[in-house]
Amino acid sequence: MGHDTAEWVFVGIVIAILFYVGVDSWIVQKEVEEVPADAEIVKVYGQQWFWSFEHADGTKEVNTLHLKQGHAYKFEIYGKDVMHSFNIPDYVVFEDVVPGHVNHAWFSPDQTGTFPIQCREYCGLLHYNMRGELVVEADKT
Amino acid sequence: MKKIIAVSIIALMAIALVPQLHFAFAQESKTGAKQYINLRAEVWNEFFRMTTAAFTVGAVVSGTMIWLVWRFRESHPKNKTPTRWEGMDDPTTGSYGEGH
Repeated sequence: MGHDTAEWVFVGIVIAILFYVGVDSWIVQKEVEEVPADAEIVKVYGQQWFWSFEHADGTKEVNTLHLKQGHAYKFEIYGKDVMHSFNIPDYVVFEDVVPGHVNHAWFSPDQTGTFPIQCREYCGLLHYNMRGELVVEADKT
Repeated sequence: MKKIIAVSIIALMAIALVPQLHFAFAQESKTGAKQYINLRAEVWNEFFRMTTAAFTVGAVVSGTMIWLVWRFRESHPKNKTPTRWEGMDDPTTGSYGEGH
């Protein structure tokens, strides 16, 4: 072993692993952020201290969101007053709600049931109670 | 040694990248029921892969340092005979003082 072997191991392997980390993260991020073309748009409005939703057909809901299993949904997320954060923990949907800016997130529910929706950015006195409910129903069509 | 390390690094990169090829073809399937990626699975899989990478980097860095300390300690048998750089009056000039 030469005197520089340790440096080669140290630098070479670490660079190789960090290269892998960069490429892998980039690929996964690209994959995760690619919204399917047939995703149905659902508008999400966050305000102190409740959620409201508007489906593509104009149907509106407050605090309870009904979606169908196996369909893709793209959320357009609007803020009406202060910063909030739209979060469905069970489906790793997690996006800031920023007044004056439209944020996006998408997901496709693969299980039926009821899942919590919550605000994940402190937004005032009743932040703790800014909760909603996602109801995923079986697609009967 | 350098050749072995270079080949190891290239092999490591190849092993890391080949499994990613499935992403390139994942969305091309047009048959059967509509399938969407499972965000939960993708995100957690990525988390575990990154954790593995982080621990591997930690192991390489700390392992190299442990080896350096062990190998270049004064009491190591290979360090019994001073190298030709040791015992210099002024190592920056490379000149030996009297008695060397």
